Amino acid sequence: MAFPVEPGGPTRAAAAGAFLAEHRAELARLQDRADVEWYAFGGDVAPADPAAAAKGLPPTGGRTDLLGALEAAAAGGGATRKVAGALILSDGADNAALQGGLDGAARAKLRALGFPVNTVAVGRGAPRDLAVERVAADDFAFVRNTVTVEVTLRARGFGDQDVPLVLRREGSVVAETTVKLERGKDRYTVPLRFAPDQTGTFVFTVAAPVFPGEAIVENNQRSFVLRVIRDRVRVLLVAGRPSWDVRFLRGLLKQDPNVDLVSFFILRSNTDQPGPQEELSLIPFPVAEIFGDQLKTFDAVLFVNFAYGPYRGLEIDRFLPNLRDYVLDGGALAMVGGEQSFGDGRYGETPLAEVLPVAPLDGTAEAEAEVRPRLTAEGRRHPVTALAPGDGPNAAVWAALPPITAVNLTRALAPGAGASVLLEAPGVEVEGRPAPVVAVREVGHGRTLAVATDATWRWGFVAAESGQGSRAYLRFWNGALRWLVRDPSLAPLQVEPDAPAVEPGAPVGLTVSTRGADWGPAAGKKVSAELRSDDGRPVARGEAVAGADGTARLELVPPGPGAYKIVAHAEGEAEPATAAVAVRGAGPEDADVAPRPELMSAIAEATGGGSSALPGGELPDLALHEAEVVEIGRRKAVPIWDRWWTLAALAGTLAAEWVLRRRWGYW
Amino acid sequence: MPRPPLLLSRRALLRGAAAAGLAAMLPRRARALPAASLLAVGQIQHRGNWNPRPSAIRRLGWELARRTSIEPAPDAVPVRLDRPGLHRHPMLYLAGAGPFPPFSEAERAALRRHLQYGGFLLVDAADGSDGGGFDAAARRELAAVLPAAPLQPVPREHVLNKTFYLLDRQGGRVLVKPWVEAQALDGRLAVVYSQNDLGGAWARSELGEWEYPCTPGGEAQRETAFRVGVNVAMYALCTDYKDDAVHLPFILRRRS
Repeated sequence: MAFPVEPGGPTRAAAAGAFLAEHRAELARLQDRADVEWYAFGGDVAPADPAAAAKGLPPTGGRTDLLGALEAAAAGGGATRKVAGALILSDGADNAALQGGLDGAARAKLRALGFPVNTVAVGRGAPRDLAVERVAADDFAFVRNTVTVEVTLRARGFGDQDVPLVLRREGSVVAETTVKLERGKDRYTVPLRFAPDQTGTFVFTVAAPVFPGEAIVENNQRSFVLRVIRDRVRVLLVAGRPSWDVRFLRGLLKQDPNVDLVSFFILRSNTDQPGPQEELSLIPFPVAEIFGDQLKTFDAVLFVNFAYGPYRGLEIDRFLPNLRDYVLDGGALAMVGGEQSFGDGRYGETPLAEVLPVAPLDGTAEAEAEVRPRLTAEGRRHPVTALAPGDGPNAAVWAALPPITAVNLTRALAPGAGASVLLEAPGVEVEGRPAPVVAVREVGHGRTLAVATDATWRWGFVAAESGQGSRAYLRFWNGALRWLVRDPSLAPLQVEPDAPAVEPGAPVGLTVSTRGADWGPAAGKKVSAELRSDDGRPVARGEAVAGADGTARLELVPPGPGAYKIVAHAEGEAEPATAAVAVRGAGPEDADVAPRPELMSAIAEATGGGSSALPGGELPDLALHEAEVVEIGRRKAVPIWDRWWTLAALAGTLAAEWVLRRRWGYW
Repeated sequence: MPRPPLLLSRRALLRGAAAAGLAAMLPRRARALPAASLLAVGQIQHRGNWNPRPSAIRRLGWELARRTSIEPAPDAVPVRLDRPGLHRHPMLYLAGAGPFPPFSEAERAALRRHLQYGGFLLVDAADGSDGGGFDAAARRELAAVLPAAPLQPVPREHVLNKTFYLLDRQGGRVLVKPWVEAQALDGRLAVVYSQNDLGGAWARSELGEWEYPCTPGGEAQRETAFRVGVNVAMYALCTDYKDDAVHLPFILRRRS
């Protein structure tokens, strides 16, 4: 009712009020024929004061339920009350049972009321309005896989013109298209396709521009929350030659349903003489594809005993800067030892040395020695070297593992490089200190891992001989891979809303969990969280202190319906944790604001009532039931219209307050 | 590995010469690899004639080094199923001529565990037996070790026939069966059994002579035996790597 009766006219509520004021006397005269009861209705039905109604009822209902209102009005006043008829004043923008029009069932229900319904339709002609009416998207999508978001655009009062439609992820455009509007067609369904390139929970917004004179500005965009998950971790494994180390590592990765593995083993080098090429199953190593265009499609690259040098013609060294940049831009690289790795493979002077967690010592050879590696202080609490929960049990698992048989000689990086040695080889010394065996590094936006031995397979297969099974080996490499690809469950700071969507007005409950440098619960740590709107503006903020279990509870009140990004910080934690939440819109999904005079007249017709339409229309000839003659023992005439009869006059609060109908919070 | 003491010094001398020749021919490695980083095949010592072709694995290793990037140990390492250290050798070799006494339950359990955790066993009938001799004993033990995984012929399309060479036939000193059989665990071949005396085709005296003629196919059959050996070693180290999708178009082009 807040909408104009016709484009450019007064609001429908005002028109209805004026109509009631104009015809108040006529309606009052009906009192002679029947009791007149006044109701206002939207979703609910409530008695109304006719004087107030004549001034115009405030358009505040969130719904318009014509049939429900009629049924409620008919049922009011008890069984002895008989309804002579009803007069209903509404824009007919029903968004309940009659939303789809008057079908057989609705017609039957109207007839079952048992009285004529007279209608006055308020408003004709749809206001000019463009709306993103519906966005159909899944709750989650896979990173790097194309996602199709189906958008239904509704345009009323537009001629032939092009409307650009954009899909934004928290401000940046990820897809766009153009919808060609045609005269006479008001709904358009278009797909928007994009491939998310990051995992996480994000607020996406589909938006159309706002044109002059539109009835509702807010429905030109609609936001939704999409969780982008990793489908599978894509791993590139390159091995310099077949070996037990790469054999067991490939077997482990191949068995993991979460890993999509692409592997290349160098099966022959330039000096090997296997015979005619056509009798071999060997393929040329597609260096340029793998280390060029395809590189960024991998979540992690593993070099297992792989030297860049010996393959003349392939010129792998040309791609080493690319590989370094891949790491700095957020990729993950692991170098695993052997006689072609680290210094043995002369990586010390290459661009890869800038990102590796250790300094390869060029020109050295692997130290051949049976070594039981030892955890460093960092290694005791790092997820890569956590083979069992708890300090003592973890150390015991490491102590029980079979010794490694060779160590590549590398030097630990200076503090400040972001690298940590987790496992070292006592007895194999480099510059007076035990040589690193396992080291990790955060460099640029990426992560690197060094495993300076080709004997980790012994932690599985050899350990299994003594009945230990191969669990330690599986744990080590699973942990290493999860750390490399930043498995979200390994992040020290996490935030999760209680529910993905909340009702309007309700607070958003959040759990923030933190872990300290030792990967234990960070009790007493100060955390904060805020809600950010689509444009990145903070709209609510809260602080808390983590309890003994490392978690903190926060409740933030969002300003209104919509989709919000949740960003949590903890003291001393550089990386914030993020999530998203949707606040549902208050009104019904469909915010179709068009008046439907044809529905109003159809209702009248179905029940034998009269109808008219505003603006311009008069009070229709009211069809009311005739009073029946009641015989009580002897013939006696009773007044035609008895006071038992009631006319239910219903003035609709009708098309809801638009604020409540904003097209927000699609989930 | 017991050897006649009389020949020891001369053999050692000749081996030294052969190794020098190898190094001259393949000057690709400046220094020795750690022994544990090499492919050292563990040869199972059973209570029968367990080492009928003493030079076979050595020669296969030589060919692996010459033809592929595999780094083999100089010779097979004798292993006992009931002694610790079996798992240092993920690839085992069970050969023999004539029947051998049954393994103890402990030996069978040890071999079973080895295979279940990812180990690989090549079985080679040096006596070319079929239904008796080594064949009967080997089948008895294999059935007892992996009762749920019966020996089955390996189809031609199997990745074993394209791990390095594209193979469409079998080789060996003899051709008792034109196929090899295998026992599979978790979709991987854990045991491969040849009745064609692969070792007899590989065996070469230290004077550089083949120890046995190959019948009926002659030297082509010997070459195929080496190719089978290369593919088996590649399979042990790479399993189904050549089934990865990236290789398919190349391989199909060559096979057509």
